[in-house]
This record gives sequence, C-alpha cells and structure tokens, in this order.
Amino acid sequence: MNIKTFSQICASLLVFGTMLSPVLVVAQTDGSADVNAAAAVRATDTGTTDAGVSATATASVRTKAMTTAVTRADKEIARRIASLDDANARVQAMQQVTPAFKTSLSAAIQAQIAALTTLQTKIDADTDLATLKTDVQSVTKSYRIYALVLPQVRIAAAADRAVTLATMMNTLGAKLQARIASAGSAGLDTTALSAALEDMGTKLSDASSQAQAAVSATASLVPDNGDKTVMASNAAAFKTARKDLQTAQQNLVAARKDVTAILKGLKVSTTATTTNTVQ
Amino acid sequence: MSTAIKWVIAIIIIAGGAWLLWWSGWLGGIQQPAPESTTTAPAEATSNTPPTLNGMSSASDTSDVAVAQDIAAVDSQMQGLVSDSASVDASVSDTPVTQSY
Repeated sequence: MNIKTFSQICASLLVFGTMLSPVLVVAQTDGSADVNAAAAVRATDTGTTDAGVSATATASVRTKAMTTAVTRADKEIARRIASLDDANARVQAMQQVTPAFKTSLSAAIQAQIAALTTLQTKIDADTDLATLKTDVQSVTKSYRIYALVLPQVRIAAAADRAVTLATMMNTLGAKLQARIASAGSAGLDTTALSAALEDMGTKLSDASSQAQAAVSATASLVPDNGDKTVMASNAAAFKTARKDLQTAQQNLVAARKDVTAILKGLKVSTTATTTNTVQ
Repeated sequence: MSTAIKWVIAIIIIAGGAWLLWWSGWLGGIQQPAPESTTTAPAEATSNTPPTLNGMSSASDTSDVAVAQDIAAVDSQMQGLVSDSASVDASVSDTPVTQSY
C-alpha cells in the first residue's frame, strides 16, 4: 500500500514569510493634517482683566459643554491608544511574517499612537469651540482606529496564528506518517489511518490558503474618512476576511480531529489525545 | 678588587648564562615534542535540526512522549486562535458611534 508522503500532501503550504510580507499595508490616516492645522486658539492671557479676575487660558474661556467634550475625547483617545498598544504586542508575537514586515506594521501602529497623543494635547489646549469640535470629530473621522487599523492588524494576527498551527500540525503529520508506515510494516491495517492522514493534509493546506485570503482581502483597504461608500466597502471586506478565518479555523479543528483518530488507531499513549472543543 | 670577589662575580655570570641557556632550551635534554594541537575539529553537531516551534518536540522524534508534547503545543495554539478569532469578531462587529456635543 502506497502512502503518499505527507510532505507531498502539504506541498501547497507556502513559506508564510513570503505569503504575508508583501501584502499587508496598514493604511495611514491623514489625521496628522487635523493635528497640524493652524488652530484659532486664543492666546494665553495670564494678566488681570478690568474685572480684576485673573484669566488663565483654558479654565476661564471654556464652557461646561466644552469641558465635557474634552473629557470625553481624552477618554476615547486613551481607549484607542490602549487598543493600539495591545495590537502592537500581538504583532510582536507574530511568527510567520518577516522581521521587516513586523517592524513596518509596528511602526505604523506607533505612528498612530503618536498622532493620537499629539491630538490629545491639542484638544486639551483648545479654547475655541469650533476648533475643539473639529478636533474631537477627527478622533473618529480621521483616526479610523476601530474602523480600519485594528481590524486589519487583528486579521493579520489571526491569519498568522492559523498558518503557525498549520505548520506545527504539518510537522506532527510527518511523524504520524512515519508511525503509520511502521505500523503497516508490523501488519496493522492502516487504510483508515492513511485516509485520515490525507484528509489532515488537505485540511491544513486549505487552512493556509484561507488565512492568506483573509489578509489579501483587507491589507490594502484605505480609511473611509467619513465616506459611506468606502465605509461599506471596508466593512464588506472585513466580513469576507472574518469568514475566511472562520473557515480556516474549522479546517484546523477538523485536522486536529484527524490527529485524534490516527492516534487512536495507532494506540499511541499520550496524555492529550482528545480534541479540545473549539467553536 | 680582591680575588675572591672576582671569583664570585665570575661564578654568578657563568651561572646566569647557564640558566639562560637552559631556559631557552639549549641545555635541555631531549626536547619535548610540541604539544598536540588542541584545536581538534569540534564534534559533529547533532544533525541539522530546525529550531522547534512553540514547544514542539524535535522533528525527528516520533516517540509517544514527543507526539504528546506536540499535541499539547498544538492545543495551546488552538486556544490562542480562539482568542484571536474573538478579537477579529469584536473588531468586525464594532459599529460606529456618532459623536455628539
């Protein structure tokens, strides 16, 4: 009985470093334009007015509504920065991409954080309502952190993990192939085991393809800047990518079940032969 | 200078010269052979095994223990994938909120 080598089955598993590296581009927002715009900020007046009241710039000229808006904007910016920090940490943990790609992605995230920090400083110093309103709106309009940057990074990270898993199970599959061959030589009927191994290889190959498709669908998206058409297009692309990743995950779970079946057939004594149930 | 002193000086000079010759190896007996070179070729490293990934065992180890280790490593990454997928779901499902003043 010929057992197709596992390496042949999984020949389509590409070196992931070449898969993701040219594709993902975290679209830069043009938010810096808002930050650097010449704002009509009232000059600080620390002198005493005719009324005899000392007027420091920020406290005296802001209304209560403005103060509330500033507080809320600070909170939203802090939330986005925290999310970006988490995303950056996840990028550092990616394993299948090239170091240059990782550095590039991290730099893009850091640029977003720096721009948001600058915007926060500007908002905190705004004393003109119109300027404040524009700056606060730019947090969501120009800095499309939640609408674009984070989904892109998270999709790339999940795809990276999927390919890492496929690579690991490919290695495990080669070992199982050797064990099946050995069992066959010893007289065991390995028909079912070989079928499970072949299915495992197919599932791993599909999972890798779907992971790549997820990244390809989202890597070149651009900020919508409030454009509803672009917004809808981006949302559709992310939904497609999510579906690809879900399919990749299902394939990996199926491959893992094949591993369990093979181990059971080989009567391999391990402490972890049951499949963890994953959605 | 007295004769005795001259003799002492002469003896010192001769002894010093003799020591010098001995130290340089001229007066040594059979020359010791140069020590064998210690720069032997290093023992062949174990076969070029690729670095293991995320706690996997050696690629060449097909024992039950190695397989069990690999499965544990795979299952750990599967849990990580569940977490990553949840993050993707949260991002994709996030709906924009209009800022109001």
